[in-house]
Amino acid sequence: MSSENTAIDTVTDVPVSTERFLTFISDGLTIGVSTDYVTEIITNHSITMIPLVPDYVTGIINLRGQIIPIIDIRLRMGKPSISYTNTSCIIVLNINDTNLGIIVDSVQQVIDIDRSQISPVPTENHQELINGMISLNERSVLLFLDHEQLTEVC
Amino acid sequence: MDNMLEMYLYETNTLLEQLDELLIEAEKNEDFTTNDVNEIFRIMHTIKGSSAMMEFSPLMEIAHHIEDLFFYIRENGLDAMNESHKSDLFNLMFQSTDALRREVEKLENNEPLSTNIDNVITDINSFLEKISGSNTAQAKENETAVSGGETKEEPGNSADLSFLPKGSYPQYIKITFEEGCGMENLRAFMVVTFLQDMEIPFECYPADVETNTDTIEFIQENGFYVCPDTTEHTEAAVEVIKEINSVSSFEVFDHKEESVPETVSHTENTETHSEAPAIKEKAVPAAASSTAAPAKQSLISVSLSKLDSLMAIVGEIVITESMVTSSPEIQNLKLDSFLKSTRQLRKLTDDLQDIAMSLRMVPVSGTFQKMNRIVRDMKKKLNKDVRLTIEGEHTEVDKSIVDSISDPIMHIVRNSMDHGIEPTAEERIAAGKPAQGEIVLSATHTGSEVIISVKDDGRGMDTAKILEKAERNGLLTKPANEYSQKEILSLLMLPGFSTNEEVTEFSGRGVGMDVVKKNVESVGGVITITSELGKGSCTTLKIPLTLAIVDGMEISVGNSIFTIPIANIRQSFKAEKDSVILDASGNEIIKCMDEFYPIVRIHNLYNIETEATNIEDGILIWVEASDKSYCLFVDELLGEQQVVVKPLPAFLNNFNIKDSGISGCTILGDGNISIILDVLNLYFVSQNQY
Repeated sequence: MSSENTAIDTVTDVPVSTERFLTFISDGLTIGVSTDYVTEIITNHSITMIPLVPDYVTGIINLRGQIIPIIDIRLRMGKPSISYTNTSCIIVLNINDTNLGIIVDSVQQVIDIDRSQISPVPTENHQELINGMISLNERSVLLFLDHEQLTEVC
Repeated sequence: MDNMLEMYLYETNTLLEQLDELLIEAEKNEDFTTNDVNEIFRIMHTIKGSSAMMEFSPLMEIAHHIEDLFFYIRENGLDAMNESHKSDLFNLMFQSTDALRREVEKLENNEPLSTNIDNVITDINSFLEKISGSNTAQAKENETAVSGGETKEEPGNSADLSFLPKGSYPQYIKITFEEGCGMENLRAFMVVTFLQDMEIPFECYPADVETNTDTIEFIQENGFYVCPDTTEHTEAAVEVIKEINSVSSFEVFDHKEESVPETVSHTENTETHSEAPAIKEKAVPAAASSTAAPAKQSLISVSLSKLDSLMAIVGEIVITESMVTSSPEIQNLKLDSFLKSTRQLRKLTDDLQDIAMSLRMVPVSGTFQKMNRIVRDMKKKLNKDVRLTIEGEHTEVDKSIVDSISDPIMHIVRNSMDHGIEPTAEERIAAGKPAQGEIVLSATHTGSEVIISVKDDGRGMDTAKILEKAERNGLLTKPANEYSQKEILSLLMLPGFSTNEEVTEFSGRGVGMDVVKKNVESVGGVITITSELGKGSCTTLKIPLTLAIVDGMEISVGNSIFTIPIANIRQSFKAEKDSVILDASGNEIIKCMDEFYPIVRIHNLYNIETEATNIEDGILIWVEASDKSYCLFVDELLGEQQVVVKPLPAFLNNFNIKDSGISGCTILGDGNISIILDVLNLYFVSQNQY
């Protein structure tokens, strides 16, 4: 395979790099996170606030004896916060042995995506927490969550 | 491999500790007993064997030479040495164990082992020469006779195979080791051990490789011979030998029985004779390593992380138990048998918790024993006659706490040795004290705390000098004459204070009492110094028994629930609006027990919305930690509860959560989380905020 071809011709003859992604909505954006990192989805959990931390760290929860920190994705991306609705839920992630919960507006579905189809975010338009995007059918765009960045401090 | 290394480190460290204890004990009695010698020999033998196995040659060589030395001592009896030899031997042994320990530390830190260990070995060898040289001529004669006898047995010619063990075996293997690899006899012994591990029956020549260093020469010249009993075993043996690193080559020969000459009967005799003790000795270290001290205790070693997870689960069970029994659904039902079983369950979980806690408890004796060594070394260096008395060494403390108080205690003992005890015996006698100084290291239990004190009968501390020094260093915050005795002594623990002008080897290295204080406070302890000029001083550490469970007071601020350790609470009270005074910068201050204390409002500090902003609506809790004392303003007290401390998620450390007055969190009976406040840290947070 020549190098010129790889860039353009991404026809999936071999489904080598297909990965499953859980998609969720936060402030109107559809964002996907690899299911490899998703532990579970929980709703209606009481969150204990932690003092003297950035506002996007909403607090901690007790998940069957484990203490898990919770991050509000909206606040983390610099969006205004909304009061939680009955579709809001916490996606518990395990990223490199760090347990972390993220609050999202709603969870959508799990879809298979070919990794090679994901294109990088244009740099001038670079967003926090997003490290790739892909256009789905019917004009919608799926963004990919930069899980590494999530565990870091901004 | 990692696992093996871990085992090796554990075993070697345990053995070195045993050795240290033994040496200290022996030095006190100024003599070795036959038992001691055997024990040292055994320890060195085990270290040598396992180091050889792991191919840590510096360790192996040191251990090997010490073993040689003690072999000699054992053979010739202790009486062969005079007093000066014995004291030399003690110093030598301490040096060599230090050398061993340094190497082990390097292994632990993943550093390369030192290649230059010649000076240690030269020391050992020259000592061995010294004591063997001063022996009677008869012993020498004996020795030469023995070695002469042995050389006779060893054939100079490799073609002459008469030395091979007699018996019906089809083949034999000749093993040659890499040239110049050294310690050929031990490498041969490794081969023997490996083969024995594979359960391959065999005979070998030379048979006494392990104990007889004279075989080195033979193996260098002729190789090492292994004779398995069947052809299949030969093949298996070849497989094993291939795997051994230091073997440069090996050959398999057919064994012709008829070629064995008459002399064999003679060799066989000596061989069976020498092999028996060799095997016996092999068995000893193997057994010794698995049960290091069979007579003392039956112990197993468990990794701390397993204990931690056990503690976590037990904590979970305790919480879940109270969740079940206090479940709101059953509150108003009359359930006799249910209540009975829950009471039973509660008792069992309490027992379980106690046992799980006790698993983590270790006696402080390990830490205390180390002090013996420090006092001994400093005694020699400083030329002071000091006796260390240890009391209550069996007092048990949580493992994590023992680890963190070791350094502070060491520092305090050093200080006592260096500055406390008078430099000369004359000075002591002039002061009406016995010539020998005394340092008492003691540990006692009081309920939830352990009190460790280091007391010396030395000069005591001169408060005037301390004040003067503190003034010079600009540490005084009020006029010098207003300082009480207690306050003056606590000046010692301020950063930037050191009473000694010159830096000595042992103390005054810039690590002062302030670091000691910090270490002690990090495990929730308190340190106090008392002293009387001319009579001595005493440093006391008050340490909580464990960090895993605390008695806490639940308080609420707005919707949040916090836990304050009961140990920090002095009093709680309602305040009148009029009793609150404002200082120049608008901070609230209140007077209790004739002293003024600042008020810290948690809802302001943590930005929590609450209705109780009026000082009369909430309640004040007077808290104290270390030397800081202040009042916390909270909404209300919810009640006292014993809580299991859980660390906050590591992710939150990114936000310096440790510096926001929080020490951890705990799960309440209803499954909610309560944050545990760190009273001392909270004070600093509040000071920075305003």
